[in-house]
Amino acid sequence: MSKLIKKKKDDTANVLTRRTGGEKILFGVVFVIFLLYAILLLYPLVFLFINSFQDALTYVLVRTKPGYNPFAMPEVWHFENYVKAFGMSIVDTKGNPINLFQMLLNSLWFCFCRVCFPVFTCCCTGYVLSKYNFRCKELIYTIIIFTMTVPIVGNTASSLRLAHAIGTYNNPILMLITNFTGYGFNFMVMYAFFKNISWSYAEAVFLDGGNNFTAFFKVMIPQAKMAIVTLCVIAFIGVWNDYESALLLYPDYLPLAAGLYRLQLTATRSGDIPYYYAGLMISTVPLIIVYACCSDIIFKNFSVGGLKG
Amino acid sequence: MTATEKKNEQSFEYQRTKKERVGDFLYETSRKLFWKNGKKTATNMSVKRGDQIFIIAMLILPIISWGVFWLYTNIQSIFMAFEHPTTGELSFINFKNVWNLITNPANTTYSLSISIINTLKYFGVMMLINTPVCLIIAYFFYKRIMCYKLFRIVFYLPAIISAIVYVTAFQEFINPIGPLGQIQRWFGITPDPVGLLAKNETATNTIMLYCIYTGMTTNVLLFSSGMARIPIEVLEAAKLDGVGPARELMQLIFPLIWPTFSTQMVFMLTGVFSSSGPILLFTNGAYDTSTISYWIFRQLYGSDGNGGGEGAYSLVACVGLCFTMLGVPLILLVRKIVERIDPIEY
Repeated sequence: MSKLIKKKKDDTANVLTRRTGGEKILFGVVFVIFLLYAILLLYPLVFLFINSFQDALTYVLVRTKPGYNPFAMPEVWHFENYVKAFGMSIVDTKGNPINLFQMLLNSLWFCFCRVCFPVFTCCCTGYVLSKYNFRCKELIYTIIIFTMTVPIVGNTASSLRLAHAIGTYNNPILMLITNFTGYGFNFMVMYAFFKNISWSYAEAVFLDGGNNFTAFFKVMIPQAKMAIVTLCVIAFIGVWNDYESALLLYPDYLPLAAGLYRLQLTATRSGDIPYYYAGLMISTVPLIIVYACCSDIIFKNFSVGGLKG
Repeated sequence: MTATEKKNEQSFEYQRTKKERVGDFLYETSRKLFWKNGKKTATNMSVKRGDQIFIIAMLILPIISWGVFWLYTNIQSIFMAFEHPTTGELSFINFKNVWNLITNPANTTYSLSISIINTLKYFGVMMLINTPVCLIIAYFFYKRIMCYKLFRIVFYLPAIISAIVYVTAFQEFINPIGPLGQIQRWFGITPDPVGLLAKNETATNTIMLYCIYTGMTTNVLLFSSGMARIPIEVLEAAKLDGVGPARELMQLIFPLIWPTFSTQMVFMLTGVFSSSGPILLFTNGAYDTSTISYWIFRQLYGSDGNGGGEGAYSLVACVGLCFTMLGVPLILLVRKIVERIDPIEY
């Protein structure tokens, strides 16, 4: 069996990698273009990383001198910039300082609320709509698709007014209630996933005396583990990097992305640019860790198919 | 059924308690609501009373959430569009103000007319440059170009790393005293000391260039996964017929990944009036770089960088309503066209 699978893989590889002379030249040229693009994507980050070790006091002055070489390495590598970056702070609407560490905690809380709850809710809606037949099923499915495709612009003002009215504005605890979103991209992925899972698993649970909840939590959810992890990773990246909604809705509990935007304004004025760069690098670390651990999961499980309804 | 049996049944029904009758009523109601035609459906499931409790338990929170945070928000947004900014009474003044903002932009730095033009530019760039390039990149990944796994990881980095980090890195890179300026000097070109982002003529184009530069992420991944599902025999047959890369991509692979592509197009069109670059991070809307979504953000967040907003909630809602009205027929038309093209089954 394994020999057969290996042979099939080899055949696939042969078809995809066998090239004529002209194709080899084309692929060579494209390879060079890809390489240059990859360097262009990486170099600005490396540039920031190197300059995060510059001397904060002289960095701004050195840059304005004639003959300054931006490719030069720091004369002295100031590793302490990374410690000092944690001391940088902005001021919230009440005048209290928010430092980088607090922003980090806010980011983690935001991620917990805005990743776990929506993904779980989409598992629920995706499972029920794909596996159970009931009168409102088509209606709910149509509403979900409609919600996703109708191009609504400018309802932020209304959302903001609602947030003020129900008390979720600037309240990270109540933020929880805004995240039971059972529609959107996550729903589509989970719906397609559960649609392809055989119902006989659930029937086996019922025969053993289990109920719908047992079937869902003990059999279906574990089977959907990879899809759920993929959605969580993608959602985590999105939430970690979101700055606009936090600036609008939680101005006193800014996560890293939004806080760093505010820090940029103060760092530019005070000349603490290397500290700011260090802060940017710190904010990137969790993402790099997640990406390093889950890049395979993202690339293998990321797909979207037709849109009907 | 004999008369005695009928009598027995009636007496059995008569003996049912009030609590049981309430239960029966609830059961009947839920049966009518949740079972197709009020009957158990002969599908791949066992329908019983517990199913309804399960379905309700699973859907109650998402339905409430949708009702409050989508339906109510959008209905309120429509009403807000007709709300007088100061008195709160029913009025059409917002529509008049929107028209003035579009036709007479001289009185405002962050004009709505410039925002509309820029938004359409961003959308054009996304549709006409980013999407085709993503398709081509996905094709070369699929055809396993040398180091494709490494490229795939690097190309996806802008989607992983925060926009604030990439924008800062890009700004430093194109700074006249940064690496790009140095490279220009090596080639004998004197870089403009003002910089590309501080001029009306170049600022928007530079941000669009940034969007292209960092935009080869999710679409590449989606198209790649679509291509990975294509049966290899199809490509093998094409290879035997001597089909080249361009024909293979356009006449073979593209029709086969049409469901993925069309879905993506519909989603992109959904955001036609929300297309934007990271304007807040680059220029804060200065140098004619504003877009509709940035204009809305600015009205709500304010211009001082500390929140508070300009207080023009009803104007924002009105602008939103106008563009939604323009967008809905467009998206419906595109969906109709997309659905007419039958996907190839494989």
